[in-house]
Amino acid sequence: MADHYAPLRSGTDIPFIGGMINYALENNLIHKEYVAKYTNASFIVKESYKFEDGLFSGYDEAKRAYDKTLWAWETTEDGKPVKDETLEHPRSVFQLMKKHYSRYDVDTVTSVTGTAKEDYLKVCEMFCSTGKAGKSGTIMYAMGATQHTVGTQNVRAYAMLQLLLGNIGLPGGGINAMRGESNVQGSTDFALLYDTLPGYLNMPKATVPENATLAGHLAKETPKSGYWTNRPKFIVSLLKAWYGPNATAENEFGYQFLPKGNKNYSHINLFNAMYKGELEGAFLFGTNPVVGGPNAGKEKEALANLKWMVAVDLWETESSAFWQKGAGSDPSKIKTEVFLLPACSSYEKEGSVSNSSRWMQYRWQAIKPLGESKADLEIMNELMLKIKALYKNESTPAAKQVNAVYWNYGEKEVDIDLVCKEINGYDTTTGKLINGFGSLKDDGTTCSGNWIYCGFYPEEGKNLAQRRDNKDTGLSMYLNWSYAWPMNRRILYNRASADPSGKPWSKEKQVIWYDELQQKWTGYDVPDFVATKKPTDPGFSDPFIMIADGVAGMYAPTLNDGPFPEHYEPYESPIPNPFSSQEINPAIQLFDGDFNKRGFKADYPIVATTYRVSEHWQSGTMTRNQEWLSELVPYMFVEISEELAKEKGINNKDEIIVTSARGEVKAYAMVTKRFKPHTVNGKKIHQIGMPWHFGYKGIATGDTANRLTPHIGDANTTIPEYKAFLCDVRRA
Amino acid sequence: MTKYIKYVDVTKCDGCRACMVACKNWNDLPADPQDFQGSVQSHPKVSADTWNVMQYIEHENGKGDLEYLFRHSACFHCTDAACEKVCPENAISYSKYGTVVIDQDKCVGCGYCVQNCPFEVISLKEYVDKNGDKYRKSQKCTMCTDRLEEGLQPACVTTCHTGSLEFGEESAMIKKAEQRVKEMKDRFPNAQVYNPQGVGGTHTIYVLAEKPSVYGLPENPKVPTSAVIWKDYAQPIGKMMIGATTMAVVGAFVTNNIISKRKALKEDRGEDHE
Amino acid sequence: MSNQNKPDVQVRRFSKGFVWAHAINGIAFFALYITALPMYTEFFDWLYPVLGGPEGARLLHRIFAVIFCTPTLIYLIFDRKGFFRWMKELVTWKKRDLQFFTEFVKELFGFNFKHVRQTFFNAGEKINSIIQILCAILIIFSGFTMWFPQFFPRAIVQWGYVLHNVGFGLGIAVIVGHVYLSVVHKNSRPGYSGVVTGKVPAWWANDHYTEWYEEEVKKGNFPDLNDPKYKKEA
Repeated sequence: MADHYAPLRSGTDIPFIGGMINYALENNLIHKEYVAKYTNASFIVKESYKFEDGLFSGYDEAKRAYDKTLWAWETTEDGKPVKDETLEHPRSVFQLMKKHYSRYDVDTVTSVTGTAKEDYLKVCEMFCSTGKAGKSGTIMYAMGATQHTVGTQNVRAYAMLQLLLGNIGLPGGGINAMRGESNVQGSTDFALLYDTLPGYLNMPKATVPENATLAGHLAKETPKSGYWTNRPKFIVSLLKAWYGPNATAENEFGYQFLPKGNKNYSHINLFNAMYKGELEGAFLFGTNPVVGGPNAGKEKEALANLKWMVAVDLWETESSAFWQKGAGSDPSKIKTEVFLLPACSSYEKEGSVSNSSRWMQYRWQAIKPLGESKADLEIMNELMLKIKALYKNESTPAAKQVNAVYWNYGEKEVDIDLVCKEINGYDTTTGKLINGFGSLKDDGTTCSGNWIYCGFYPEEGKNLAQRRDNKDTGLSMYLNWSYAWPMNRRILYNRASADPSGKPWSKEKQVIWYDELQQKWTGYDVPDFVATKKPTDPGFSDPFIMIADGVAGMYAPTLNDGPFPEHYEPYESPIPNPFSSQEINPAIQLFDGDFNKRGFKADYPIVATTYRVSEHWQSGTMTRNQEWLSELVPYMFVEISEELAKEKGINNKDEIIVTSARGEVKAYAMVTKRFKPHTVNGKKIHQIGMPWHFGYKGIATGDTANRLTPHIGDANTTIPEYKAFLCDVRRA
Repeated sequence: MTKYIKYVDVTKCDGCRACMVACKNWNDLPADPQDFQGSVQSHPKVSADTWNVMQYIEHENGKGDLEYLFRHSACFHCTDAACEKVCPENAISYSKYGTVVIDQDKCVGCGYCVQNCPFEVISLKEYVDKNGDKYRKSQKCTMCTDRLEEGLQPACVTTCHTGSLEFGEESAMIKKAEQRVKEMKDRFPNAQVYNPQGVGGTHTIYVLAEKPSVYGLPENPKVPTSAVIWKDYAQPIGKMMIGATTMAVVGAFVTNNIISKRKALKEDRGEDHE
Repeated sequence: MSNQNKPDVQVRRFSKGFVWAHAINGIAFFALYITALPMYTEFFDWLYPVLGGPEGARLLHRIFAVIFCTPTLIYLIFDRKGFFRWMKELVTWKKRDLQFFTEFVKELFGFNFKHVRQTFFNAGEKINSIIQILCAILIIFSGFTMWFPQFFPRAIVQWGYVLHNVGFGLGIAVIVGHVYLSVVHKNSRPGYSGVVTGKVPAWWANDHYTEWYEEEVKKGNFPDLNDPKYKKEA
């Protein structure tokens, strides 16, 4: 149960956190040495960096993009950043940050977020008290932070606050994503996102000339310092895993077989292309865009433009049945050929899931799959073997790519253990498993399907993800329970828990420390670097080894929408942006026309947000088909405040209609004290909330909330802005 | 035998309702869908097919702050159980664990227990037999007595992921509850242990964040006085009275016969009876 | 008075309305008794299979419960006068009524006794009536709360169980005596046929309900048993 609750208007996280940053700086509550030594706060930014009226320098309005080179920092002749560890230089990141967030004073912030001032101050005071050594605080977030046009910057703001307070790399610290499902971490690690390869390697785009050759790509991608200097080893090992004997030094380890797409293949863009008739077919693996996608009504229409669609799911979903009458379609007019492949559930198959703490936990089959259903791995294996057979005798470029793939996971039945071994990696000549990514090579003698996981299967018969030793190895680390990438490390960047000399900042929060006697690092966790290196060895006082400069990014000149998080109102907002004349994030991609109608305050004065309930999962496919879960949350509902209900003449349990520029849904009104109108700029702004689980299939059915949400995404990830849009409500 | 009880710390509950699903799963109970309740709560209260229900309460405390309170509600398994007292068929009994269980073979569905439970956690379920005839049985949480017999904990306790539910040795649990209330006093000044003595204590004790009445719980529940009068006085006296009158008429029958015979003898001797 | 020389003149003691009401009341009472027995005590659990299980017993109990409520109405509708006389007698108590009880006990056990002058109902019957009326009220009203608990506050239902139980225990105790006297006991046996046929021997009526009998004689409804013609006949 919360000790303190401070609600905010949806879409105002940056003011909320920005105000806390300002509070910490103003009241000198920061962990100064940590900030100076372990972050880029000391770096000097070039004079070309500017920030005026909500815009950073280098903005190109036509492209809706920035020239990020203007945000770079000054470097010495050998390419090292120029620093001022006193943090006094007016162009130091620290001073720029201080200036930037001085605009986020408590009164301005609370007038934007609608949070009661005393509640907000209490949060500031409580959380910023963790800036002291010996204390730590954590920030846990989920889609409420990320599903905004400023989603990436919301999380960046968390990171900055935590860095200022010295809360990263310590027990009880960090920023922790509460995953929406058991394997989001795993899916991202394994490149579910369109622009990465497994292990967060960048997908080479053909638009970058250097990517024409492997050598060029490696040169471009490999920084001069930090752990990523090892990147060529990871890339070559990945190519060896995928192309096996077909990857040789002579053919750039099969680099040319890799597809090099140039576009933004995010969800919204894929459906936009589909809507325009640019896509022929689609595979929906356990995804249900007709319920889960933004502006879901349009996504349903888009599916009808496909020639074929393969849905792989446990049940017939609203998406796989988009052509049916129940979906509001006319089956005689839909030409899409739809295949539904029955998939089995996690209990019917073997494999692993990776949680938010990066633990790769192996799970075993509990029961045999029901009916004809199959595990995803079996479906993929069969599919790939069929495709390979079809292309076997062709020599087109597509056939070459397909034929080059080294696909060898068992003769009759797919053997998941072989997949595990390939993910870990092995010596391509001896077949011996690799003990960790430190042993990977860039000469083609090792392979690894995902370098960050290399080490979970260090030797034959020793799949560490299968470990289930629940004995506390100290500080609740449980080092012998499953396997945490990288190298079973439980706290990422744990070097930051000790000062530059290797001494923990405090006794209470000590994780690892340098033991002079043993001449090595020791402690409760696996050190985030070679344990025998002295703290003073070059580069080994830099805790953030995965970042080129070895320090954390208080300032991020790589993001599309600015090096510092700045508040912009959501795509649909009830008020003008009080911080600048830029209403919405200037760097987001806009979709217009019928694909994305935009609503305005005059017609839709109420802020709406969507969320999930613990009883239903995602689009509800797995839970709304389950009686015991369906009875717990059986109806689509909308939570509205007592004040709004009174204004609209709505009684609890009434059926109401919620409308947005894109559609309308019918639902039960749940009038609750838990929603209260926000006072924003002195005016009353109502906010409502609703679950997005419902659709017309299954036991518990209801209207789909996403018929209301817009096709607009974050400037960096294009994650849709599900969490803040405008609507109106009336009695049904 | 060591006494084991269920410990419910509502201040640790996050309202996920896994306890409700685990209960249905273990006890093989069917879904029992209800109309929209106007709140997050799925069922108004426990029922014959839903043995535990998560309560969701929007409570404004003395300071005017909103507290969103949860409570896992189920049978309390009283030490002095009114249901056990009033059951006319002795279908309700205390197991060796102190849990109060209903013998489904003996239950005749009279509903006396339903009406007399001070916590209102017993319900009648209607069944249809193979001839299409309806019959009823009383149903409630069994504290998974069948699991206890196998050395397992109740299903709701096993599934609870916040530590809100525990099952353990009575004195340890009570100590824990008292300790927790002390910890919570700043946050919830009305926090208290709920282990009502009016029913001799219960085998489910609570750490409540607010007064019992906020959760719809009786402040001082006891076996209804009517049940005591009924079962401890009225029924035994009634039985005695029936016995007494029966004895009286039997006595009358006998004496009448004897006297009649005597009279017959006297008349034979020519004596007049008047 | 000797048994040998009684005139077999019959007089109407009860109307048809009363006879029916009494019969229905009696049958319903025993049906209710039988259908409730297995719940009253486990000793009679063997009755469940006979009654069609607990559900059968419950159903029968409820059918007879409804029937049990009707005699008052039948009596009231078909013999209004009789009903009010009954009511009036129940509230009329005189010294001799108390005397009746001492003599009654003697009669009950077959000892010598003398008749105390009584009106239409003797004091014993009045006591029986009063107790049965009270029990019936208790049982009917408490039964109603038990049948439809959803319409009553729980406390009322809970007390209903007690009252049903008390009403039943008391009622059955009195009924045992009542039935014994009418069916088994030799001195009151004519009362039994009386309550079935409505008619009783005149001499018996005259002995047991002297005052009533004499009133009826005065009205010219009943024969005067002191009239020598009856004695002659005898």
